[in-house]
Amino acid sequence: MKRSQRYFLLASALVVISLLITACGGAVPTAAPAPTEAPAATEAPAPTEAPAATAAPAVTEAPKCPEPVDMSKMTAPASPKSITAAWSQEPDNVVEPFSNMAFALWMNQLTIIGLAKWDDKGNMIPDLAEEVPTVENGGVSADGLTITWHLKKCLYWSDGQPITSVDVKFTWQAIMDPGNAPVSRAGFDKIESIDTPDETTAVIKFKELFPPWYTLFSIWGFGGNPLMPEHILKGHTAIEKDPYIHQPNVGSGPFVITEWVAGDHMTLTANPNYYRGHAKLDQIQIKFVPDPETALAALQAGDVDVAPDFAESDIPTFAALEPAVHLRADPSGDFEHYFFNLGTVAGVDGKGKSDVDGFCPFKDVNVRKAIMLGIDRQTIVDLLLGGKTTVPASLWPNSSWYNTSLTPYPYDPEQAKKLLDDAGYKAAGAGTRTGKCDGKNVKLSFSFETTTKQLRKDIAVEVQKELKDIGIEFKPVHTPAGTFFGSYSEGANLATGKYDMAGYTTGFYPDPWNDNFLCQNVPNKDNPVGTNNYHLCDPVLEKMFVDANASADPAARKVVFDTIQKYMYDNALVVPMYARLNLTGYVDRFDPGPTAGLSGFMWDSASWDVK
Amino acid sequence: MWSYIVRRLVQALFILFIITAVCFLLTRLSSDPMAQYATRQNMTAADRMALRARLGLDQPLPVQYVKWLGLALQGNLGESFFSHQKVSLLISQRLPMTLILMTTAEIFIVIISLFLGIVSAIKQYSLTDNLITSFSFIGYSMPIFFIALGLILIFAVKFKLWGLPYFPTGADVWNFKDPLAMVWHLVLPVTCLVAIQVAGYSRFLRSSILEVLGQDYVRTARAKGLMERAVLYKHAMRNAALPFVTILGLDIPFLLGGALVTESVFAWPGMGRLFWEYAQRGDFPVVNGVLLVVSGAVVFFTIVTDVAYTFIDPRIRLS
Repeated sequence: MKRSQRYFLLASALVVISLLITACGGAVPTAAPAPTEAPAATEAPAPTEAPAATAAPAVTEAPKCPEPVDMSKMTAPASPKSITAAWSQEPDNVVEPFSNMAFALWMNQLTIIGLAKWDDKGNMIPDLAEEVPTVENGGVSADGLTITWHLKKCLYWSDGQPITSVDVKFTWQAIMDPGNAPVSRAGFDKIESIDTPDETTAVIKFKELFPPWYTLFSIWGFGGNPLMPEHILKGHTAIEKDPYIHQPNVGSGPFVITEWVAGDHMTLTANPNYYRGHAKLDQIQIKFVPDPETALAALQAGDVDVAPDFAESDIPTFAALEPAVHLRADPSGDFEHYFFNLGTVAGVDGKGKSDVDGFCPFKDVNVRKAIMLGIDRQTIVDLLLGGKTTVPASLWPNSSWYNTSLTPYPYDPEQAKKLLDDAGYKAAGAGTRTGKCDGKNVKLSFSFETTTKQLRKDIAVEVQKELKDIGIEFKPVHTPAGTFFGSYSEGANLATGKYDMAGYTTGFYPDPWNDNFLCQNVPNKDNPVGTNNYHLCDPVLEKMFVDANASADPAARKVVFDTIQKYMYDNALVVPMYARLNLTGYVDRFDPGPTAGLSGFMWDSASWDVK
Repeated sequence: MWSYIVRRLVQALFILFIITAVCFLLTRLSSDPMAQYATRQNMTAADRMALRARLGLDQPLPVQYVKWLGLALQGNLGESFFSHQKVSLLISQRLPMTLILMTTAEIFIVIISLFLGIVSAIKQYSLTDNLITSFSFIGYSMPIFFIALGLILIFAVKFKLWGLPYFPTGADVWNFKDPLAMVWHLVLPVTCLVAIQVAGYSRFLRSSILEVLGQDYVRTARAKGLMERAVLYKHAMRNAALPFVTILGLDIPFLLGGALVTESVFAWPGMGRLFWEYAQRGDFPVVNGVLLVVSGAVVFFTIVTDVAYTFIDPRIRLS
C-alpha cells in the first residue's frame, strides 16, 4: 500500500471513529437521569439553624383525588403538537437557588414551580398554593412574623407522588443545610421553623420581620425558588451536584424534561399530572443557539418558533421581518443606569469609608443635576432602542412600587449650563469647564466605565457628544463584563471605587428593597464583599431604607419607597437611563399568550399554542 | 530514535507545565467568576464570602494553581464552578462532535488545497492560477462569522423562501445518530471552515512546489526524459510536501480545540463552544481543562510530526 493511501485511510478512520464515538455515547441524546433512589438511611444533614425534624403531617380527611397518571405508560401522540425554542445558553443547574442563570429560572417556570408566581398584569397569583397569604385571609399574622401557606389539594409530582407541605419544609431545609451549596440563603436564613400540621398547610415562622417573605417560595420572570421534591432528595448531601438538580426528570410544572443532549438541545414533554391538566402543547424542544444572528435566521427559516433574550439593538431588524416573525417587547423592572462615584475616604461619621475619594465635583448636586439635564435620554431611547421603552424617573420602573408623581428630568442643555455656571464651573469658549472643588482647581473631565456591550458603546458615544455641548468631557472606558463586575479582591474598579462614573443594568423587584445603598455595604479593605457599588454613604437615605423594612404592610412600605425615590430624584444621586426590555422573537404560527416583564415570557407555558 | 522520542516526551512534560501555568494565570486574570453574581440582588455578604471560599477564590493565585495542577496530574480536571459537573465529562460530551466537524473539514481542506496548490503551481501566472489566487484570497480575507452567517442566510433562509432545496440553519433539533442528518448538517459549517483555511494551505503548497520545481534535481529529472507527471509526483511533490506536513502536523491538535466561531454560529455542540461559553462566565476549571487537552495535543503531535519527517524524508535522521 502506498504511503499516500495509508494517510488517506488513516484520515478516513479518524472520521469513522469519531462517528462511532458519537453514535455510541459521546453526545448521544441521553434520557434525563432516572429518579435518584432514596438513599439508605444516612445521617440527615444538620440544618444550619437546626429546624425541627420533619414530623409526619397529621392525616386530615383525605380528599378524593384523581389517580395520578403514570407517565411511563403514556403513549406519545402520533404527531405531537410541538414547538422549538432557541435559547442562547444552556442552563447549568436547573433548580434555583443552585444556579445563577436566568435560563435555569425559565426551566423552573416550565418544569418545577413554586407556591406562587407573577402574572402578565404584574400581580402575584397562587400557583401550587391555594391562595396568596394576606392579613385578611389569615395567612399573615398581625406581627408579620408568621406566614401560613395552604397548598392546593390533589397536587402531584410528575412521577405520581403527592406534592405536600413537607416539600415546602424540605426546600427550606435543603437550602439551609450546610452540606449543600446554594448560591444564596438570603431570606431563608430568617426562617425560624416551618410546621406542617397537615399535607396542605405550611406555617412559616420568621425569627425577625422579613417583608419580602413572599419571594421565598415563588417564581417570577428572573428569580425565585421552586419547591424541591422531598421524596427524591431527602438525605442527599451536596445536592448542587445531584443529578436531579442538574437534569430533573420529575417536576411539578406544565412540562417535564424527557431528553437532554448536552450542549445541544433538550426535550420537554407535557406533564399529565400538572394541576391544571395537560398543557396545550405536547412537547417543547429547546435548542441551545449561542449566536443571536443564527437564532434570528432560524426564526426566519422556521427552524425555531420562539427565541427569547434578544438585545435592544435587534429591534429594527425585527421590524423588517413582520408579519412572519414578531417581536414581543416587555418592559421589565430592570433598568440601565449611570451613576456617580460618591465615595469618600473619610466616610460619614466613621461609616461607609471608601478606599478612594470619588470625583470631587460630583459632591455638588448641581453638577449631578446638570449631567442629568445634559443627557437626551428620550432621543437615545428613540434612536437606539426603537422607541420601545421609557425613561424612568427612579430605579423602580414598571413596578407597582414606582413613584408615579415623579417626572424624568428633561433634556435641557441651557438649564444644565446655568447650573454648572452657578456651581462655579466656567468654560473658555467651547472647551471643557473648570472650577474649584474643595479648594483645588478641577476640570470637568472624568471617565465613565461600563462593559463592552455594543449598545452601551453606542449610547456612551451619544452621551459624550451631548455632554461636550455643555462643557463636560466624558471619557468612556469599556471593560469586559468579567472584569468590570469583578470583586474587590480581584481589584475591579467598580468594587474598589477607582472610577469616576459608571453604568450598567440592575433591577430591584419584585420586592423593592435592596442593600446596595447602605453605608455598611460600601466595599473597602475591611469589607471586600460590600455590594454598595455607588460607594454612597448617605445616612438620610440609609435610614429610609432601614425604615422600609420595618413594616410588613405593603401600603406603609410604599409610602417609604415613594420618599426614597423622591429623595434620590431631588439629589440626582443616580441617572436612570432607560427601562430594559425583555425581547422575545416568535413566528406567526406560535401563540405565546400575554406576557409581561415581571412574569417573564415563560410564566404561562401551559397556555402556549400553535395556530 | 527511541531515545529521541523519550527525550522529547520529557521535554514535553516541562513545556506542558509552563503552558498550564501561563494559561492558568491568563485565564484567572482575564475574568472574575464572582462577576456573575455582581448584580444579583438576593445575595448577602455572607453568601458571597461563602461562595468565594467554596470556589477556592479566597486562596492566593499560586495556591489555586498548585491545587489545580495536583488534581490534573491525577487525571482530575476538576468541576465546573457553576454546573458542578466534572470537566472531563463536559469535554467527553463535546469532543466527538468537534472531531467529526474538524476532521471532515480538515480532510476537505487538505484535498482541495492539494489540488489547488498543484494546479496553481504547474499553471503559474495563467488565468487559472490567477483565478485560484483571487478566490483564495477572497476566502482568506473574509471574517469567518461573515462567511458563516452569509451561508446561513443564502442557503438556509433564502433558498427555503425561494422554494429551493435548502440546508438547515443549525438551530433546528436533529438526531446525531442519523448519518444522513449528520452529513446534511455538516455541509455549511464544513464549507465555512474550508473557505477560510484552504487559501493558506494552497498558497503555501504552491510556493513549495514552485521552489522545488526550480531545483537542479528536477531539471535533471526532466533532462532524463521523465514524463512531467512523474517529475511532479515522484520527485517534486515529495520534497514540497515536507513543509506542508509540518503545517498539517501542527494543525491536527487544533482539531480537538474546535472552531469557536463556526461552532457558535452553526450551534454545533463542540469544544470551541464549550471553551467560549465557559470562558465568558469565568469558569476556569472548564477553560483550563480544554486548554490542557489542546496544548497536550499540540505538544504530542509536534513530536509525531518530527518523527514523521524521517518517513517522508530519509535524509532526516533523529538522534
